[in-house]
Amino acid sequence: MRQPRLREVKAVSSGHAAGGQLGQNSNPRLPVFSQRSQNPGSQPQSCCGCPTSRGMSWAQAIMLARGWRGICGAALTGAPFSQVPFQVPRGLHCSVATHSSDSSLVPRPPKPLWQPAKPLSPHEELFRLAPDGARDKASFVQAVQNFGQHNVRKRGHVDFIYLALRKMRDYGVEKDLTVYNLLLDVFPKEVFKPRNIFQKIFIHYPRQQECGLAVLEQMENHGVMPNKETEFLLIQIFGRKSYPMLKFVRMKLWFSRFKNINPFPMPRDLPKDPVDLATLGLRHIEPDLSARVTVYQMASSKDSTGTADSTEQHIVGIQSPDQQAALARHNPARPIFVEGPFSLWLRDRCVYYHILRADLEPPEEREVEEIPEEWNLYYPIQLDLKYGRSGWDDYEFDIDEVEEGPVFAICMAGAHDQATLAKWIKGLQETNPALAQIPVIFRLTASTGELLASSSGLEEPCPPPPQEEEEEEDNTQRQQQGQS
Amino acid sequence: MALVHKLLNGTYILSKCLKPSVASCPFLSTSFADYCSRSLQKPVATPGKASTQRNSAEGLQGDHQREVALDITSPEEKPEVSFDKAIKDEIKEHFWRLKDEIVNHWIGPEGRPLQEVIMEQARVVWQFRGKEDLDKWIVTSDKTIGGRSEVFLKMGKNNQSALLYGTLSSAAPQDGEKSQSGYCAMISRIPRGAFDRKKSYDWSQFNTLYLRVRGDGRPWMVNIREDTDIIQKNNQMYSYFMFTRGGPYWQEVKIPFSKFFFSNQGRIRDAQFQLLLDKISSIGFTLADKVDGPFFLEIDFIGVFADPAHTEEFAYENSPVLNPRLFR
Repeated sequence: MRQPRLREVKAVSSGHAAGGQLGQNSNPRLPVFSQRSQNPGSQPQSCCGCPTSRGMSWAQAIMLARGWRGICGAALTGAPFSQVPFQVPRGLHCSVATHSSDSSLVPRPPKPLWQPAKPLSPHEELFRLAPDGARDKASFVQAVQNFGQHNVRKRGHVDFIYLALRKMRDYGVEKDLTVYNLLLDVFPKEVFKPRNIFQKIFIHYPRQQECGLAVLEQMENHGVMPNKETEFLLIQIFGRKSYPMLKFVRMKLWFSRFKNINPFPMPRDLPKDPVDLATLGLRHIEPDLSARVTVYQMASSKDSTGTADSTEQHIVGIQSPDQQAALARHNPARPIFVEGPFSLWLRDRCVYYHILRADLEPPEEREVEEIPEEWNLYYPIQLDLKYGRSGWDDYEFDIDEVEEGPVFAICMAGAHDQATLAKWIKGLQETNPALAQIPVIFRLTASTGELLASSSGLEEPCPPPPQEEEEEEDNTQRQQQGQS
Repeated sequence: MALVHKLLNGTYILSKCLKPSVASCPFLSTSFADYCSRSLQKPVATPGKASTQRNSAEGLQGDHQREVALDITSPEEKPEVSFDKAIKDEIKEHFWRLKDEIVNHWIGPEGRPLQEVIMEQARVVWQFRGKEDLDKWIVTSDKTIGGRSEVFLKMGKNNQSALLYGTLSSAAPQDGEKSQSGYCAMISRIPRGAFDRKKSYDWSQFNTLYLRVRGDGRPWMVNIREDTDIIQKNNQMYSYFMFTRGGPYWQEVKIPFSKFFFSNQGRIRDAQFQLLLDKISSIGFTLADKVDGPFFLEIDFIGVFADPAHTEEFAYENSPVLNPRLFR
């Protein structure tokens, strides 16, 4: 089946490279995209050909596929489609009566004999699961090994490898290096190495080299670093001067250069427990290392008795000693606000957090803190010399930075409603007794991902506040434009 | 430019007064019509201004998401479409700019005294304090290639910052060609002088890029493009990664220019050389981290400064394995 393969080859080469040249493919790509499984032929039960059957048996699908191949073969040789005699295999449970009645009532132009459906890939049946099988690494490895067993000469290995690359995500093995090495093992060895000068000049076995490049490119997209086994396999299969080997060298170089450039590193395997995830997220966004994480409430699953109305969500908060001191100093006449939820991405998981902050005080009310001389880091502290700095010594930017009110605490909760956050405030009051006198206003917006700015119309109306001391209900329809 | 078309048309009609039909010069007439239609499309409050035509002519990709705070015209201000008036305004604007340029040349580079420019250690290049600052940027996403990401740019709270937000979707366009998709980008417009000449930034006295941003934890990519007059340089750019922390605090990102690596047509090249700072044409931020979902990035300002502690010239060395020709 040549036609789908050409499409795969075209699809592998990047969309903006002029012509799918091998040289282009072997450079690591930036920005790196993910490769979604397109599933062009992963459903042998897809309805192709028969307009009235709801499903076809597997044998009919294979028969149809062979017929489709025949059509493609005919098309490639130039025969027009309408001349190919092709009988629509109807399902056994499809009644003849309906079909004929449709055609007899209204004269219609002849429908195409087949629907433009996705053609089946040649080795699709190797990935068919046992009825009770799960899609995991073991079954994937089994499928790959089955290919070698049934096909000693490894015919069609390029198609099989492309298919296996597409299937990896379904089986959850796209980040597993051993699986990639196993897939590279499918190639026959020592066949594709160029042996004389003419073979070296021209790209020897270009389709196989493109396939090898596709495997390495998927490794690159998922951030999998190849190892010595991969190198040995590539040398065995393609030789040292081939494009896959070139790409391997580039991957080794650039991956190792960029491995640790993230100043805020995040572990690869995120914790599954929501409380642990919340703790990780809060530590991530709070730069103060002396901050303390407090779990106010653990997530509890719903009991069978169902006494609670709703499942209790976890509430995890963080506050640093500086923030505690600032909250203690806060003027009780000015309210403080609970704002949120704001989104935070940890690798590929999104969590939401709320903050407790106050508005910026107008300049006249700001009190200048007196830092004792021994603690001040900036020198000189009080110097009455004419210590003029000339123009070349000024490293400040000629712009007023955005000033915002101080943040007193951050929390992550399972639910974003006022009741849960009120529990957080209550928990905060244990460590900040001053909080009891300060009015707390809840400014909760829909999580459109905008920090401190709401789009009008998406703001959720806040529910009436619970009976807490000194809590006011804000005017919920108040626009949050420039409140500082 | 339309000015040229108008002049040519006028002279043509004058010389051949017997055949005033414009159809005889189809090339001029079609481009004439094209220009006219483009100026009609933009329902901005000031249609005759040269800036609109420049905007429409430049970024066709920008047309897809013109979310740079389009003003909805109120019913009273109907945009008057008068080509002659537009031409006159444009001529006036360009000559005004030319006069500014000549006068500024006497004062110093870009109108600031030479002493100030030489001794400058930190310069703010882009700031976001008003709607006109947003006009200097174009936002694009993979909608241009058939994807489904959306991106918008608007002013943030209190007009003190710009907010770039949207949704990233890496669903590939089902057109048989592309198997990958999912990117959003914000690119600065190339600065233009009088008569739409391309100008460039000269940052040769600085060595670090400074950004004050507030993100949501996603990794972004900062791309710098040099002077694009040569066609081969259209696809070349220098890039580096910007990792946002997320959280409610503002984050300062300092990227030395020596860390930018060279790439051509979207792929990192083997032969690496350092970014030369004397003709920078635009900077851009791209998000393509293959994670679907909403994102946002709040930018306070973008500046460059000379970090005296940074002495590295270029961070990447060329490897003899990949580039044997360089080491012969």
